[in-house]
Amino acid sequence: MIRLDADRPVEFCDGLRRRDFLHAGSLSALGLGLTQFASLKAYGAVDKSKDANCIMLMLVGGPSQLDTWDMKPNAPIEIRGPYKPIKTNVPGIEISENFPRMAKVADKYAIVRSMYHTAAAVHDTGHQMMQTGRLFQGGVEHPHLGCVLGKLRGPKGDVPPHVLLPRPIGNTGGNMPHGQSAGFLGKSHDPFVLNADPSDPNFRVPDMLPPDYLTALRVDRRRDWRAMVDRTVSKFETSQDARLLDSTFHQAYTLMSSAKAREAFELHREPEAIREKYGMNRFGQSCLLARRLIEAGVRFVTINMFETVFDEITWDIHGSKPFSPISCYRDLVGPMFDMAYSSLLTELSERGLLDKTMVVGFGEFGRTPKVNPAGGRDHWPQCWSILMAGGGVKGGKVVGASDDIGGAPKDKPTTPAQVAATIYHSLGIDLETELPGAQGRPIPIVDRGTEPIRELFHA
Amino acid sequence: MRSLFALLAPVSLVAQLAVLPPSVELSTKESRQQLIAQGPAGEAAASWTSSNPAAATVDAQGRVTPVADGEAVVTASANGQTATATVRVKNAAAPFVWNFRNHVMPVLTKQGCNQGACHGAQAGKNGFKLTLRGYDPELDYDVMTRQALGRRISLADPAASLLLQKATFKIPHGGGQRIKPGTLEYRILEEWIAAGTPPPSNSDAEVVGLEAFPKQAILKPGQEQNIVVRAKYSDGRVEDVTRWVKYSSNNEGVALVDDYGKVKMTGHGEAAITLWFSSKIIYSRVISPFENKVSESDYRKFTRRNFIDDLALAKWKSLNIAPSAAASDEDFLRRAYLDTAGILPTAEEVEQFLTDKSADKRARSIDRLLERDEFVDYWAYKWSDLMLVSSRRLRPNVMWSFYNWIHDSVKANKPWDRFAGDIFTASGSSRTNGALNYFQLHKDPIDLTENVTQAFLGQRLTCARCHNHPLEKWTQKQYYQMANLFARVGIKNGAEAGDVVVFAKHQGDVNHPRLLRPLAPAPLDGEPLALDAETDRRAHFAKWLTSPKNPYFARAVVNRIWASFMGRGLIDPVDDVREANAASNEELLSALVKDFIAHGFDTRHLMRLILNSAAYQLSSEANATNQSDQIYYSKYIVKRLPGEVILDAMSQVTGVPTAFAGYPAGTRALQLPDVQVQSQFLTAFGRPNRVICDAAERSFDPSIAQALHVINGDTLNKKLSANDGTVNLFLKLGLSDARLLDHVFLSAYGRYPADGEKQPMLSALAKSREIKGSAEAQRDARRQALEDMLWALLTSKEFLFNH
Repeated sequence: MIRLDADRPVEFCDGLRRRDFLHAGSLSALGLGLTQFASLKAYGAVDKSKDANCIMLMLVGGPSQLDTWDMKPNAPIEIRGPYKPIKTNVPGIEISENFPRMAKVADKYAIVRSMYHTAAAVHDTGHQMMQTGRLFQGGVEHPHLGCVLGKLRGPKGDVPPHVLLPRPIGNTGGNMPHGQSAGFLGKSHDPFVLNADPSDPNFRVPDMLPPDYLTALRVDRRRDWRAMVDRTVSKFETSQDARLLDSTFHQAYTLMSSAKAREAFELHREPEAIREKYGMNRFGQSCLLARRLIEAGVRFVTINMFETVFDEITWDIHGSKPFSPISCYRDLVGPMFDMAYSSLLTELSERGLLDKTMVVGFGEFGRTPKVNPAGGRDHWPQCWSILMAGGGVKGGKVVGASDDIGGAPKDKPTTPAQVAATIYHSLGIDLETELPGAQGRPIPIVDRGTEPIRELFHA
Repeated sequence: MRSLFALLAPVSLVAQLAVLPPSVELSTKESRQQLIAQGPAGEAAASWTSSNPAAATVDAQGRVTPVADGEAVVTASANGQTATATVRVKNAAAPFVWNFRNHVMPVLTKQGCNQGACHGAQAGKNGFKLTLRGYDPELDYDVMTRQALGRRISLADPAASLLLQKATFKIPHGGGQRIKPGTLEYRILEEWIAAGTPPPSNSDAEVVGLEAFPKQAILKPGQEQNIVVRAKYSDGRVEDVTRWVKYSSNNEGVALVDDYGKVKMTGHGEAAITLWFSSKIIYSRVISPFENKVSESDYRKFTRRNFIDDLALAKWKSLNIAPSAAASDEDFLRRAYLDTAGILPTAEEVEQFLTDKSADKRARSIDRLLERDEFVDYWAYKWSDLMLVSSRRLRPNVMWSFYNWIHDSVKANKPWDRFAGDIFTASGSSRTNGALNYFQLHKDPIDLTENVTQAFLGQRLTCARCHNHPLEKWTQKQYYQMANLFARVGIKNGAEAGDVVVFAKHQGDVNHPRLLRPLAPAPLDGEPLALDAETDRRAHFAKWLTSPKNPYFARAVVNRIWASFMGRGLIDPVDDVREANAASNEELLSALVKDFIAHGFDTRHLMRLILNSAAYQLSSEANATNQSDQIYYSKYIVKRLPGEVILDAMSQVTGVPTAFAGYPAGTRALQLPDVQVQSQFLTAFGRPNRVICDAAERSFDPSIAQALHVINGDTLNKKLSANDGTVNLFLKLGLSDARLLDHVFLSAYGRYPADGEKQPMLSALAKSREIKGSAEAQRDARRQALEDMLWALLTSKEFLFNH
């Protein structure tokens, strides 16, 4: 099916040129249609009136609460560490001197200072729990929150509902990375993974457009013929991978055919000044890209700040190789986050998107209150701080508190499951919603009775 | 592990009511035994009587308590049937003292006191630090009785002991109430304190094995089943430890289990209930057969060819699923070529095979495949994935040496024990002996320890680097004993850049990071060497590694090879061969391992065995009973081909090889020694980086990026439009569309097109030529149509999958 825009010159016959391809192709909705939405309504309430989004910043490695957003200036030197607190634009809230730009927009975000989890103190457990609300066990692969949203709401326009930037988290030392996929919801709900570096000068989504030597007519014909060839063989019907292959082709065609989808990924359309405000690095440009994607209809964007904790400067400040030194918070990781995060919140707010877009920023655990002999801090799931903004969250406040050394929650202890519940709540998803697990066993999106952090939503 | 296999030997299921365990010996006055009345349909609600209540009594729940030395017969009555168990009581009058190692520790472990989140944490909790899950009873004893000025224990008034006050929440306790007064748990702690806290001693009996009752049960969804676990001790005693076992289910979609061993079935299929006690792990299997109509004749249609088929069939019968029909010759040939050598059969090879009418043609084609050069390339590639061959950290000269050593080993069919052993026994130049480059990639003892256990034993040991492994039996002590085996690997620069010389040093040790001293070097659960022994430590390791008695070595590689052919490891993930990760068919895996060892670790023998089995040669088409089976091999599991295989197959069918920078024209992707070679196609299709040893580094998942690349990317498009490929040849030969389709189907799918699918394609091709214009324009139109048809075939599921 070919649709032509009248205001563009077009060559006919075999001469439909590459640019015109952008207007060709059957534009069926990506992934799931109305029927699926209807069937899911049966599973749980989806607040259709609520057009809410989420950007999840995974601060891989685990930021130290004591060197970021929960300073303990009165503690002994081996606890308080090398950094000093600074005032923010909200009286009474102080954060580390490593985040001067964040200090100027503290009215836009809330800090939860009483996070903890009780699973093993390895990166993987925290990643699983922060991204799914649960620990991987009993063979049940719980879905990432963004995939749940994609499943419950379906796509908006031609863009995938959940996009992961720039790449999945790789090896962080434990067993396999769990929690980044759609898990038991099925691979068709997996995020669209960019697999490219948006800060690369030649950045583009790999193979988004046909090559010059291929006309739109032929791309369309190939698509039809492929469907014809595939129709005759029935043995793939029970294979989930085979069904998924079909669905990825379908999604690829939808993405190619949509000008809006394509442009959302074109970072060069942004003024240079804006790009620089976010920081000309992988994380900064991913945050900017996230804003564009949300504007284009993506519902959930996950950004992994780092892919691993080995041989790379990250939040994982053990102080010795192959991990990172504590000084990187001042020299590299801190400024990188500071620029991107403050710009993202400011821009979303200016464009009126912050109210309906929750921005969460967190690591998988905190770090030992006491500085270790290598001058770093080790894993500490007993207490850490996270950032919550937008999507109804009232900024400029602190929820919960840690003890004198940032070693344990003193007030309002909060679990990863509650953070998941908070995000679902902001997205308008009923916490009683059940998802279809293996063999149709219903699995609640969060364990029954898990409360969202309600204080975040009250002034 | 040995005992594990013994316990998992096939068990016949009870045909009528039986009491489990059938005979009981209560050898102390505190011994108890829970009995289960097990009928053919699961656990039965029974009434219980003892023939001699003067010796032993039984309560309404089937719990037996000793009274005086003697014998009794306990009878269960249920549904009009009766069954009995014999009970012998000994030492009923003898004084009895709770044992720290065998009673107190299990109480603390079961109540969670020493788990990672509580006092078992690296830093303990609130000043009280126990070893994780009680791996060091001596240390824990010291902490409990002496530390904190001994205030945790009150010998004068046991109930006033801090230990009990906290555990019962009489005084505030962060962990809440863990133990209720009046329970057996409470009594054990209180009486042990009252007895003067007798310490653990070296003469304490140790747990040597576990037994589960029932070992296997066939149940229906919704049904419940209790599991009883007995521990055998080194002094010959057997005790009921049901109450202290940690339970977990590996498939919560089939069965859930609570803290007391009560299983509740939630769906159809099979679940392994993991039973952990005192660092020993066994399973009880609960099965809920699918509600299918399967008759004996469905099973008779399955012609068994070797023991794989016997054991696969036994599993299908237990689950009430019927195997798919046998695969056609066409399906078999394409499948075997791809799985064995990573190539497609040519059109000629397909035709030849189809016209061959001899009965043993499949077996002969398997033999031929196992001798092909492409077979060697394919498996050299796979083992290079495992060995992380890459120019990322090796200069090209030695990267080639490493690769060539692997390639030569596959070509010579070097037994797997020698392949692994050769790495750890060699010395000298890594340029001359490529295997030694292993020590360039893994330079320090830590890296060596973790890589070798992952690559050759399927064990993920990393956790134990910093603390005891929380999910497994490995301790930090074992970790550093193992690491110390690699403390004396010397490396110095060789004759040319990139080359290194590996030699055995005579001194050097790895310190345990907390004990700050070296431990006797020992391979995991193997024999230690004396710290001052002159023996080459690597040789000691190699001997343990490749010993037929090593329970992990053969199992790990057998599972890998099985997964490569059958689409899924018997243990999944394929490289997570830990004890707590149950196989989907343990009998089959054990038999394969036994056979593999008996045949001298011959990988090609194992492959031949798998290829010739009727299970491998099943159709991938599901029948009415096995639609949902993904793990019992009742149909061939369709799988997306590895990226390299797809790329080579595209080159083969289009007649246009892929150009790889720096490699001679015609080099196939599977002949590349290196993963650093630039290829957007291979990256999109999940080529591993060969950075960490992890099977999940290679991805088989379809993705939008792959679809975008075959639609828009240069790789396939340029092959189709090339001037020297198959399309050109067809045009030059002036083949008709019909003949041309036959040829393309044979070379891409290994079969002729069916009439039904050929007709629409022919009319589509014919229609595409209905254009007016010059002869040249017409020729172009036909060519483009052929390219597009070939594109459709080469991106179809039938092409991209092995099926």
